Amino acid sequence: MKKVAILAVMVVALAAAAYSQAQVGSKIENFSLPDVDGKTQSLADLKGSKGTVVVFVSIRCPVVRGYNERLNEIAKVYKAKGITLVGIDANITEPATDVKAHAMMNWDFPVLIDKDSKIADKLGANVTPEAFYIDTDNVLVYHGAIDNDRSGRNVTEHFLQTAFDATLAGKKPARTSANAFGCTIQRTAQ
Amino acid sequence: MNSLTARIIILVAIFTIGTSLAIGQQTQKPAAPVGPAIKQIDLEGLKTVLKTDGKPRLINFWATWCDPCREEFPELVKIDAAYKGKIDFISVSLDDLEDIGTTVPKFLHEMKATMPAYLLHASDEDAAIAAITNISSDFHGSLPFTILIKPNGELAYSHAGKIHPDELNAAIAKQLSAGQ
Repeated sequence: MKKVAILAVMVVALAAAAYSQAQVGSKIENFSLPDVDGKTQSLADLKGSKGTVVVFVSIRCPVVRGYNERLNEIAKVYKAKGITLVGIDANITEPATDVKAHAMMNWDFPVLIDKDSKIADKLGANVTPEAFYIDTDNVLVYHGAIDNDRSGRNVTEHFLQTAFDATLAGKKPARTSANAFGCTIQRTAQ
Repeated sequence: MNSLTARIIILVAIFTIGTSLAIGQQTQKPAAPVGPAIKQIDLEGLKTVLKTDGKPRLINFWATWCDPCREEFPELVKIDAAYKGKIDFISVSLDDLEDIGTTVPKFLHEMKATMPAYLLHASDEDAAIAAITNISSDFHGSLPFTILIKPNGELAYSHAGKIHPDELNAAIAKQLSAGQ
């Protein structure tokens, strides 16, 4: 009976761990995924001298579409400062060939394909766009929304850039998370 | 009437009809948006929507660009019809503000939806999401999202993703039986 109870606890613990969200301050293990050309890329390979921001994206989500220009601008400005931006498409409904075509037209940053949503599960990503800023020591510094207005017309809080600027200045960001809103990452074919 | 007179009459008739049609087109007013009126709300309006008013309150958060939202809507319309007057059912669209007079009412019209309809346009989206998360921690910023709030303000049911009609019906029935 005791063994059954222990087993039940282990099963529950494993199930919880499988879907738990990466906590700010925790270390993110290196991972590898194919890019849109099928070439395997690792987080370590893509990391800038001041870290990397992973942004979950989608080619069909209008919320992501609304952020395309802002993401390209962030990628450009902060690459020069040592922070690289990497997109990850973890939607099972979006084939790599379609993502490649879309990325060439819309995104000025590398995009990886998370076919089985393993990295999305690992980080606990739910929506697109959703950002995870990982510093040089692979510690998660910021998680969540890029800013506080998806339309881009009334942005008053640049959450992600503020986290970058604080880190670049050698400080801990005052805000380490913000609620992301967007399209559900399609983990199963519907 | 000779043939020349007949030709002149036909030409005058064609000209008159053509001119009338052209004038008619110029003075035609633009078509009014099809569908129910959608009320715009901000963060404060959302907080009001999240408060009950004596009855269980069912709230569905959705958007026209969200496929699962569109797919589940017929079931929500059926639920609205089944419990009309017994619960307050409110739909809250998270579409862009530009869609308030176009795609949102058009879709609701197609669905024959008659529940009060709102469009949330908050200047601070983070705060708006937090207001919903305060009611249910199941909300992670994705749509559709559906909650049933008890008359006393407690959460009775919440579901992220497409609803399971049987589950939602059971949750509503439970609240209605508890209130008798």
